[in-house]
Amino acid sequence: MTLDLFGANDTWSEAPRFVAERKAAPRAYTVSAVNALARRLLEGTVPPLWVAGEVTGWKRHGSGHCYFTLRDANARLRCVMFRTDAQRLPTDPEEGMEVRALGTLTLYEKGGEFQLVVRELEAQGAGGLWRLAFERLRARLEQEGLLAPERKRPLPRFPATVGVITSPDGAALHDILHVIERRAPWTRVLFCPARVQGEGAAEDLARALSVFYVAPIAEVLIIGRGGGSVEDLWAFNEEVLARAIAASPIPVVSAVGHEIDVTIADLVADARAPTPSAAAELVVPDRLALGREVAILTARMRAAVGRRVSSARDEVDGLRDALNDAIGQTLRRRAERLEVVAGRLDALSPLAALRRGYAVPLGEDGRILRSARQFEPGGRVRLRVVDGRVDCRVEGVSLEPEVRGHGA
Amino acid sequence: MARDANRGGGLEARLARLEAIVAALERDDLELEQALALFEEGIQHIRHARELLRQAELRVEQLQVEEDGTVVIEPMDRGEP
Repeated sequence: MTLDLFGANDTWSEAPRFVAERKAAPRAYTVSAVNALARRLLEGTVPPLWVAGEVTGWKRHGSGHCYFTLRDANARLRCVMFRTDAQRLPTDPEEGMEVRALGTLTLYEKGGEFQLVVRELEAQGAGGLWRLAFERLRARLEQEGLLAPERKRPLPRFPATVGVITSPDGAALHDILHVIERRAPWTRVLFCPARVQGEGAAEDLARALSVFYVAPIAEVLIIGRGGGSVEDLWAFNEEVLARAIAASPIPVVSAVGHEIDVTIADLVADARAPTPSAAAELVVPDRLALGREVAILTARMRAAVGRRVSSARDEVDGLRDALNDAIGQTLRRRAERLEVVAGRLDALSPLAALRRGYAVPLGEDGRILRSARQFEPGGRVRLRVVDGRVDCRVEGVSLEPEVRGHGA
Repeated sequence: MARDANRGGGLEARLARLEAIVAALERDDLELEQALALFEEGIQHIRHARELLRQAELRVEQLQVEEDGTVVIEPMDRGEP
């Protein structure tokens, strides 16, 4: 059954039924009854439809209900979007934005107002309301400095414990564990499950993150999920998760499988990876590379110690030589000195005098006679010469005048 | 983190210490005794690091938040979701 809503050309006042009604006895309906009728007619006749137009006068009340007007060049249509539907909107549309609204036409009975009860609202243009919501949050967080590069902390080189926040189903967890097992199986992995899409997912993710903030049980966190549509990933663009990530006392790596653009979580995190597997590679070292590094350090260490021992050995040899030289020299010097002293001694010894031809006169008591006064003519004197003794008798004695030096 | 002293956390410290030891030995201004002592220490670190790198099995545990807010850590079977 097709509805021909706009086919009638006749003006109402000429219609036969209108003329007949005027002639019949007046029977008035109440306002409430009329409005109720009109409402039933509208709702019963017109199925839900998409309406395109410009949004104006958007108001989100405390109740959560949103009131606005859609218009085009020639007409306006009042709209309402109730809380349960409105809360699914990524953000409020901007004044003048071109949108499409899916809803049912109705009459608000109390006010007698014709309106469109909107169930879905989408913005025209690339990305629509999602893009707008993203940009708005991004601008706000950027202004608060939460996206600043200086805030990004370096990841620990060799984390002992890695925290993982993702869905317990799905490939993300499996991929992460597989990579960690291959690269660094000594790493301890602490997994805190959370929903990664749907209503309340952002809060769930934030809560899972905060479990790691209470005590320093992990050194780095990976939060993420596999790919999906904008709506699927939307939790990673929500403010509550962004703030939870920004509040982390330890580095966070965001790993949202990207088929599209980055998410807010990616921007706030300390590092981001295009997939959960890539995040795991970023976070744990590769044991092959580490093994090589240890091998190099080992070789360097042995070489350095080898050199040190060698040079110590050389040093000892050098010292020994020096010692030998020093001893040799000392001995030679001593020998020389000894020679000199011996020479002097020799020169001083009576034997030298005897050798030179002197004789030593000895008295009868064996004493050396030095002075002529000690001799008597006719007395006995023994002369000691170098090779023997000569017994003599004194023939005569004469004293020389005062001789300086050797006295008796 | 003390219980992880022989795992990754120990690895970071060990490798850092090893690099420092090698740098000191390469500077070549140490007493022989000191150099030999550092060498001994370096060997220890290398031995432990090698042992760690040889390990094969990954340990995965799951965190559960109880109603009263306490956090429970339980070993996780890799096969289960």
